[in-house]
Amino acid sequence: MPILEVRELRARYTSSGPEILKGVSFEVEADDFFAIIGPSGAGKSTLIRCINRLVEPTAGSIHFYGTDVTTLPGRQLRILRRDIGMIFQEFNLINRMSVMDNVLSGRLGYTGNVRTLFRAFPRADIERALELLQRVGLQDHVDKRADELSGGQRQRVGIARALMQGPRLMLLDEPTSALDPKISREVMGLIKTMAEEFGVPCLCNIHDVRLAMEFCNKIIGLQDGVKMFDGPTGEMDQAKLDQIYAMEVL
Amino acid sequence: MAGSAGRATALQWRRFRFPQSLIGHGAWIAVLAFLAFSVDHLEIPLERIPDMLGRMWQVLASRYYPPDLAYILDRDYLDYVVETIQMAYLGALFGLLLSVLLGWFGSFNMTPSRRFVYPVARLFTMGFRAVHEMIWAILFVSILGFGMLPGVLALTFFCAGFAGKLFAEEIEAIDMGPVEAMRAAGANLFQTVVFGVFPQVRVAFTGISIYTWDVAFRAATVVGFVGAGGMGWYLKRAVLQIETERVAAIILSIVALVIVSEIVSAYARDRVMRMK
Ligand SMILES: Nc1ncnc2c1ncn2[C@@H]1O[C@H](COP(=O)(O)OP(=O)(O)OP(=O)(O)O)[C@@H](O)[C@H]1O
Ligand SMILES: [Mg+2]
Repeated sequence: MPILEVRELRARYTSSGPEILKGVSFEVEADDFFAIIGPSGAGKSTLIRCINRLVEPTAGSIHFYGTDVTTLPGRQLRILRRDIGMIFQEFNLINRMSVMDNVLSGRLGYTGNVRTLFRAFPRADIERALELLQRVGLQDHVDKRADELSGGQRQRVGIARALMQGPRLMLLDEPTSALDPKISREVMGLIKTMAEEFGVPCLCNIHDVRLAMEFCNKIIGLQDGVKMFDGPTGEMDQAKLDQIYAMEVL
Repeated sequence: MAGSAGRATALQWRRFRFPQSLIGHGAWIAVLAFLAFSVDHLEIPLERIPDMLGRMWQVLASRYYPPDLAYILDRDYLDYVVETIQMAYLGALFGLLLSVLLGWFGSFNMTPSRRFVYPVARLFTMGFRAVHEMIWAILFVSILGFGMLPGVLALTFFCAGFAGKLFAEEIEAIDMGPVEAMRAAGANLFQTVVFGVFPQVRVAFTGISIYTWDVAFRAATVVGFVGAGGMGWYLKRAVLQIETERVAAIILSIVALVIVSEIVSAYARDRVMRMK
């Protein structure tokens, strides 16, 4: 039984503009770590943002544990988003807040407005945040401001923040593109370990095909808004890669 | 193939293009022509300027000197100075509270609704700005009568327009990354603003608030001229009674107070900006 079923998904940013996703379908199982690869501008970020509706799809359906995401009204959409953690290429941390507050912000979906205003998170949340910070190796940086950290450390905060939600799915938009190769590998490894430990399936945009082959069990190849490949990592080969990246030979 | 075809068109380039250049140069000519026209209309007698300056100096020296310092050290007058400060404080405070809302609602990226709330907030901000603070004061005095209340209201409106626009601009310039992250975590709009927006604009808002206090205080010293409370009333009375030495003293006191206020707030702003 797939936990996420995407059917014939279409998206465009403006009604007159080009169609970015042209009917993409795929399924994610509970133990999948999916890589989405494809050339720049293929629509990978758009695809991932449609799943938690940061971008509104124009047609098609997205079923997450049986609920159709595309039709949810505001409040229910926020409740759904609590179940989907997201990690960003540029980390998207709140630079002027402490590491702790950044991690706690993952709980906002569960926090009331008054508590939010005074940053009065429940004891249990704080304990969980400390635990997660320990797990991602930032126990010595809890009170530092986010902008005092290195890139790798920032993404670790991003990971802790996403896990703080207790997600049932994680969306990763090129989580390591802003990091150097060595740190990239470490961070991918950490994400993979945590995802397995917490039993969270992942959908990960990734530029680096080698990294994708190494860490992911399934791959979706996207080209110009069309799915070109969908299958286990083992079935991917050079010929298919060339087709996805459509090396233009002039 | 495609390369050589592209090159033929790419080689044509000109700095001056027909309609744009004409409009640009035309605008410059219009500006200069209007300058000449206006200066001509002033009919400034250039040859008499040195003479005029000399006479202005004489008038100042004979009528406005020495300033009646005892008058401004009087208990009554000092009460009015305190009232001016209170008025500026309340006006700036209420205006800033209002302008936080105006700034939020009137920022295109964070407004609760782009169709309805955004244009309404922008309209209010523009309305507050469009009317000069003295006109607000006249308006409120004519509705509410003399006193401090119309002054506070006039300053509130003035500050709301002044800071509302600046706040909205700050919010529109933020990095939307954290905002997107908060949304993705299931935060509602209010929470998104508290976590995603406010930390990014806090320092700028504090700076703008201090600046707003500055202009509010300067405005507060004169709104009394139309009966809206504060030391402006004293100024008006002295002017009407042609007590020029008192007028001089009052103007000096206003200048001194405004300078002190500006120095203090420049210092405070500087400290705040360094907090980053
Ligand atoms: N906010 C936006 N408004 C309008 N067009 C957009 C927007 N975001 C992306 N696009 C367009 O959508 C297309 C796909 O963009 P998308 O970011 O999904 O690609 P991508 O596969 O993630 O590329 P990259 O690997 O460079 O991140 C691009 O042509 C881009 O110009
Ligand atoms: Mg992208």
